[in-house]
Amino acid sequence: MGTPLERSSRVPIGCPDKLGGATRKKVAPDSNGWLSLAKARYAMGAKSVGPLQYASHMEPQVCLHTSEAQEGLQKFKVVRAGVHTPEEVGPGEAALRRRKGPAKTPEPQSSEAPQDPLNWFGILVPHSLRQAQASFRDGLQLAADIASLQNRIDWGRNQLRELQEKLKQLEPGAA
Amino acid sequence: MLEGAELYFRVDHGYLEGCKASLLTQQDYINLVQCETLEDLKIHLQTTDYGNSLANQTNPLTMRKRLCGEFEYFQNHSLEPLSTFLTYMTCSYMIDYDSADEWCLQTKSVKEIPGTCHPLGPVNIAETSSDLFNAILVETPLAPFFQDCMSENSYLETFYKFCKNHGDVTAEVMCPVLEFEANRHTFINTINSFGTELSKEDWETLYPSFSKLYPEGLWLLAQAEDFDQIKSVADHYGVYKALFEAVGGSGGKTLEDEFYEHEVQMNVLAFNRQFHYSVFYAYVKLKEQEKRNIVWIAECISQRHRMKINSYIPIL
Repeated sequence: MGTPLERSSRVPIGCPDKLGGATRKKVAPDSNGWLSLAKARYAMGAKSVGPLQYASHMEPQVCLHTSEAQEGLQKFKVVRAGVHTPEEVGPGEAALRRRKGPAKTPEPQSSEAPQDPLNWFGILVPHSLRQAQASFRDGLQLAADIASLQNRIDWGRNQLRELQEKLKQLEPGAA
Repeated sequence: MLEGAELYFRVDHGYLEGCKASLLTQQDYINLVQCETLEDLKIHLQTTDYGNSLANQTNPLTMRKRLCGEFEYFQNHSLEPLSTFLTYMTCSYMIDYDSADEWCLQTKSVKEIPGTCHPLGPVNIAETSSDLFNAILVETPLAPFFQDCMSENSYLETFYKFCKNHGDVTAEVMCPVLEFEANRHTFINTINSFGTELSKEDWETLYPSFSKLYPEGLWLLAQAEDFDQIKSVADHYGVYKALFEAVGGSGGKTLEDEFYEHEVQMNVLAFNRQFHYSVFYAYVKLKEQEKRNIVWIAECISQRHRMKINSYIPIL
C-alpha cells in the first residue's frame, strides 16, 4: 500500500482537466440542439414544436446505469431503454430444461423499445428536428461522463484529505 | 374582369391599401438584430406597427391574433367573389398539413390534436372526424376535401381552379403562387419522408395533380431515395434547379430557407400589379414570414446565438 505520502501522490489530480474538457464539450451539443429546435419551429410553426405535442404518457428512451468500480467508485453509463446490460441478462425463471423437445418455460421477452418522440410532431418532421434529437442524445452521453468524472474527482479529494490528515498525525512533534 | 370594373375595384376591395406599409422595413430588422435582450426587442417593436400590442408579452400567438384581427376586418368588408377567395385562404389554416396527412394514413382522432390549429381555422371543438365534418365543415368550401380524404394538396388544387376560373390578373398572379406552394410541399415532404414508414404507394397519393411537376416530375420524386436523386429531379425545372443549387450557400441556407425566400419574392411582386385579389393572399403570407423572422431573431437573442441572427428572410 505504501506510506501515506506515497499513497497521496497516487491520487488522480488530472481529472479536473478532463472534467473541464467534458463540460465544455457538453455545451456544444446542448447549444446546437436548442438552435436546431428553433430552426424546426421556424420551418413547422412555433405552435407545432412545443409542449402541446408532448404525448400524455412518456416513456424514457435512455436509462442511467450505475456500476461500482474496484475502489468503490460509482460510474454512470447511459443505456438505451429496452437493452439489458450483461449483468442483467440471465435466466428469467429457474426451470428444468430437457435435452430434447421444446423448453417448458417461455424465453424471457425483451422489453419493447419506447416510441420515438419525433413521432409526437408528425410523420414528416424536418431535418432540423432530427438534428436536435441527435444533439441532445450526444449531450446525454456527455452528461453521464461528466457525472462519472465529478464522482472520481470528489473521491480523489476525499482520499487526498484523509491521507494529508494521516500525514500530519505521523509528523514528528505532532503529538 | 368586366370592362370598367377597375374603376370600381378600389371602391369594393381597395381597403388593403395602406396595410402593406405596416410590414417591417430593412431598417427595422437592422434595429431588431442589434438588440441584446428580449426587452430591447419589445421596445424596438413598439416603434413599429406592432405598437404596444407586444408590450406585455412577445409570443407568436399574440402576433398571430393581431393578423387574425386584420383578416377578419378584410372578411367583414368583402364582397363576392373576394369573400370566397378569403374563405379559401382560411382553409389552409383549418387543418394542420401534417395532421391532415396523418389522418389520411392513420385515421388519427381529431381529439389528439389539441390546440395546434391556427386561429383562422378553429377545429378544436370536435372530438371525432365525423363530428368535425358535421359541425363545422359541411357548409364550408373545405367540405369536399373531407368527404374523401383530407389533403392539403386537394385544397390547393381546388383553390387553383377557383383562381383560374376567375381569370384576369388574379389568375396570372395566384396560379404560379399556388403551383409553387404545392411543389414546395412536395419537395420538402419527400425529403422529410426518408427514414419514415411511409411507402412509395402511400406517398404518391399525397402528391398534387396540378403544377409543372405533374405527372413526370412527381413520378420521379416518388422513386427518389435520397437528397441527390431529388436534386436531379429539380434540375429539370429552372426555378427549382436554382433553389437547390443555392442550398448551403451564403450563410448556410437550407432548402426550406430558399423556398421561403422565393415565396417572399413572388408575394412582394404581387403588389406590383393592380386590381386583383392576390394582394390579400400576398399580404397574409408576408405577415406570416415577418412573424417567423421576429420569432427567429428572438430565439437567437435568448439563446445567444448571434452568429445566426441574420438568417431571417428580408421582405421589403
